[in-house]
Amino acid sequence: MSKYLHDLWSSVSSSMIGMRITFKHFLRIRKGNVTLQYPEEKWPRPERNIGFEHKDYNVIRSKLHVDMDDCIGCYKCARACPVDCIKIETIKVPKGTDIGITSNDTKKRLLVNRFDIDMTECMYCNLCVYPCPEECIFMTGGPNSSKHPIDYEFSEYNREGLMYRFATATQEEIDRYTDTETPEKPTEKEETE
Amino acid sequence: MVVDNLMQWFESWTLWEAGSPLLFLIVVVIAGVPIFLLMAVNALVAVYAELKISAFMQDRVGPMGQGPGLHAGKWGLLQTVADALKLLLKEDIIPTLADRKLFIIAPFIIFVTPFIALAALPFNQNLLIADLNIGVFYILAVGSISVIGIIMAGWSSNNKWSLYGAMRSAAQIVSYEIPVALSIVSVIMLTGTLSMQGIISYQDGTTLGILPNWILFNNPFSFIAFFIFFISGVAEVNRTPFDIPEAESELVAGFHTEYSGMRWAFFFLSEYANMLIISGIAAVAFLGGWHSPIPGFLESPGWSLFWFISKIGMLIFIMMWFRWTFPRLRVDQLMNICWKVLLPLALLNIFGVGIWTLLTG
Repeated sequence: MSKYLHDLWSSVSSSMIGMRITFKHFLRIRKGNVTLQYPEEKWPRPERNIGFEHKDYNVIRSKLHVDMDDCIGCYKCARACPVDCIKIETIKVPKGTDIGITSNDTKKRLLVNRFDIDMTECMYCNLCVYPCPEECIFMTGGPNSSKHPIDYEFSEYNREGLMYRFATATQEEIDRYTDTETPEKPTEKEETE
Repeated sequence: MVVDNLMQWFESWTLWEAGSPLLFLIVVVIAGVPIFLLMAVNALVAVYAELKISAFMQDRVGPMGQGPGLHAGKWGLLQTVADALKLLLKEDIIPTLADRKLFIIAPFIIFVTPFIALAALPFNQNLLIADLNIGVFYILAVGSISVIGIIMAGWSSNNKWSLYGAMRSAAQIVSYEIPVALSIVSVIMLTGTLSMQGIISYQDGTTLGILPNWILFNNPFSFIAFFIFFISGVAEVNRTPFDIPEAESELVAGFHTEYSGMRWAFFFLSEYANMLIISGIAAVAFLGGWHSPIPGFLESPGWSLFWFISKIGMLIFIMMWFRWTFPRLRVDQLMNICWKVLLPLALLNIFGVGIWTLLTG
């Protein structure tokens, strides 16, 4: 009988201890909360020491970025891509039209109206970076951190958000050069023939 | 009360003769709509509360969001609305080898149980569908119908988990009915009436100078009876730590493993409505029903409704608190608590209350 009463008492008192603990946590939620509301809050990036500076990296595999001011629309990166995740479309501009020069003083001859990189398909092989004559496609951060800061996450709410559209040509420009393209077409054919 | 008043109101039109069965049917349907709404709103609010309370007790924040779209409203307030929409739109799957008729009927039987039990729960002086003179007895009797639904669901699913869950549930509910009923008996011995309003009106006024004259504070035996009732009540509605019929880690989801979509939502609705009923009976029988906690203070019908709902809310919060504190009991431990602890204590209480009433009055 005494064991029965003792068991009864210990079960009641230990239940009380458990309930006190959970209630304490219930009240302390503002201080004790461990959840990080991810897109709004982020953990601080940890300091790290890997023996050399960020700018001394040889190669970095991160988000691809294109500096459209320098792009001449040569398709070399699109051809190099093993998974065909780079999609480029260009419009030929009439001779003598000035659409700017690159930082390497190369005259632009093609208006790039579409430059899409599908980062869901990208496998971070870096092969598109080497053939670029203007060095305008590169991975962010590392040795390129002076051109573009690193982006670790590039997380999006939907898949469409990972389709990076770099083309800067305005609709007005596109319309202007597509109109003049039609009379040019016969001459183009003559050349190929 | 509501039914009687509606009957009189309709009869005053003299379109129907008094006591016409058709008129009774119309009145019952009209009275049933608010009960259904109450159950639905209760489930929406209680599920949200449960998500938040469980999260807070585990140092999380629970559902959070800033607006429509992917997020569910500010602080996740629209979370349960989104859940309800999802359940409505979900595909209804019936297993090929299931006993089709029973499988379809079972959720409705389980849903109907709290629905008809709520008819006798008084929310304030006037808000009561039917003031039965056997109110407590009616609620307790009707409450055990759900066992039939649970066994039907478990059997017809043609699934070993469902069957195990149903068997455990039947054993549990049948066992815990007894301490529930016995602890209510000790209340009835004090009040001398089975009517819910009668029990509440007994608890009017003060006791020991300052305390409200609730049966909880009436004597030491009824104080213990409250805890016996509440613990067995938690067990009767199959909530953690007594959730062995649904034991996620052992039985997938117990008797409702094979259910999906709207049929599953009926189980869910009835689980939260059962919590409401058990808390409601506890509030009526031990915590003074719709009486104010400070005797004579704010006793108008509106405030009475508020007091009653806040008492129910407190008890539901305690149930959730139990759930997120205690681990699940083993089957033998469950039966041990019922037959070796709660039942003897309940019997002792009846004896004690009897002696007490003899001595005091």
